[in-house]
Parts: sequence; structure tokens; C-alpha cells
Amino acid sequence: MKNKYLPFMLVGFSVLTFSGCIPAQGYIAKEPYKSVNRMPVLPCSQKCNTLMPAQSMQGCTPCSPVTLKVTLPKNTPILQRDKTMKVLVVGQGVSPMNTISPAQAYALAKRAAVADAYRLIAEKIKGVYVEGEDYIQDMMVKKSTVRTSVQAMVKNANIVETNFKEGLCEVEMEITIAHSQFAQ
Amino acid sequence: MRSRDGNNYRSLAICSVILFYSLSVHASEYLISYRYVLKDLVLYNESLQISRAMQKCQGSLSQSLILNTLGKKNFKQIINNNAQKFIDFIHENGMHVEHKSQTKNFKNTSVTILTLKTTCFKVDFNENLVRITSLN
Repeated sequence: MKNKYLPFMLVGFSVLTFSGCIPAQGYIAKEPYKSVNRMPVLPCSQKCNTLMPAQSMQGCTPCSPVTLKVTLPKNTPILQRDKTMKVLVVGQGVSPMNTISPAQAYALAKRAAVADAYRLIAEKIKGVYVEGEDYIQDMMVKKSTVRTSVQAMVKNANIVETNFKEGLCEVEMEITIAHSQFAQ
Repeated sequence: MRSRDGNNYRSLAICSVILFYSLSVHASEYLISYRYVLKDLVLYNESLQISRAMQKCQGSLSQSLILNTLGKKNFKQIINNNAQKFIDFIHENGMHVEHKSQTKNFKNTSVTILTLKTTCFKVDFNENLVRITSLN
């Protein structure tokens, strides 16, 4: 009875051994696992140029702050101390389709143009938050989205000129800003 | 020295004070909020809320606007008659701008919201004029 099932048992055991279900004695690590630090050993001067974690910066003198050089185009107005600067924008507004009179169309288009001018002032002075997203599939752009937003409080902006032609109203608006308004 | 007809000067002074107050000093405070929305550069929605303040407002007086009452005594009616002037005044006072735009597959849509948060205005009624002063 025992001799009849012995070859099957041997074959089954060998299959289990080679498949990895029963670990062989040689695979068991005798020593506990040690993590290896693969961070390259750099001198302190080179560490400052790369984004190194704080732990690796031990023993080095603190790095000087990184300064970004921004080159502005020529004749770009810059707000200086004890001086004011005028910001000029042109806002555009369109009259709705279902107006009852040209006067109403003008009034509504002008209001829209004023709001657009306020938005432009806010964008120029405070800046715009931009978020972009492209979805590419099979080396082709399937969906492209750009979102922009701005939030600001605008005071003392003045209308310089208003033009209304063929349903489009353009409002030229200016605001005078001083350095002290932005000093913190 | 007392005048021959009794307290004539004193009564005259009291009458003049009563007359002055009845004619000129009729001050009250109003809470005003204004908001309008632009969708793709077209005016979409506009709302102006005016209500009488139920308690005294705190703050310092700043810019003021003088409007002709045209015989009206209701503040809302006076505002309606001079809507454009009043809205220009609100704009000068300061508006909060919120703008969001989205360009999806090169097609742009935008929403711009201009808001005057609920602000207290002191309103002085005179005979033919009304002075509106914002309290900040």
C-alpha cells in the first residue's frame, strides 16, 4: 500500500518545492535585512545646488537663499517707492440680444464693460491664477483645458472714455496705485 | 435784562431749533449690498439690496454722494431715480472682483462677479437733497 503511493508523493513534493510554495533552506536570510542608503555622497557646496533632504545637510553651513532672475522687457513700468503709477485698461462689454431699446443695450453693455475693466485691473495688479490640463491619448491631444481665476478688491478706478459701436461697448479705465498700498 | 414781552428770545431760539431739526436733520442708516454677474461679457444678473439698519452702525465716515430727492421721501425711490449716479458711487467706494474663465478645446467661457459686500450708509435727508455717506 505504501509502495503504491510513494512515487506520487515524491513527484508532488518535488513540484511544490520547485514552484516555491515550500521554501528551500538556502533562501532564508540568516541576518536581518539592512536598508542601504543609496543617496550619493556630495560635498556641501554641491548639496546647496540640489534639492537635498534636511537630514543629509547635517554638518554643512546653511545654504544661501535661491534667487530667481527675472528679466523684464524694456520700458516695463515698475512701481517705485514714494511714486505713484497709473494703470490703464480697456474693458469690453456686449449688449444682450433681447433688449427693448438701444438705450438699454448701451446701459447693459457699459456695465459689462466696466466689470471687464475691473477684472483687467485686478489681473494686472494682483496677478492671475492659471491651471492647465491636457489629456493625450495615442500621441494626440484629446482634451485641453485651461482655467484662470482672479480675486481682488478694486477701489477708486475712474472711467476715462466710453465708446459704443454695433453692440460692443469699450470703457477705458485708469487707476492710480502707490507703493504704500502694497507695503506690508 | 429781561425783555418787556417775557422770554421772547428764548422761545424764539427754541422755535428755530425745532424748525431747523424738522427741516434738515432726519438722518438714518441703511444697509446696502450690490452684486452683478457677467457671463461671456454679457450682463447676466444684477441685484441691489437696500434695507434699513436695525441697530446703530459702527465705523468712520468716508466718501459721500448728494442726490436730488425730486420731492420723494422714500429712500428706495430716490435711489431708483438716480440709479446710474448711485452705482457709479458704489463702484468708486470699492468692489470685490471675482473672475473665472475656462478654455476647453480652444472654446472660452468666463464668469465675472462684482460684489459690494453689505455696507452701512448714513443717509441725511434735507429738504430737496439727500446725502449718502458710506461707513467703513
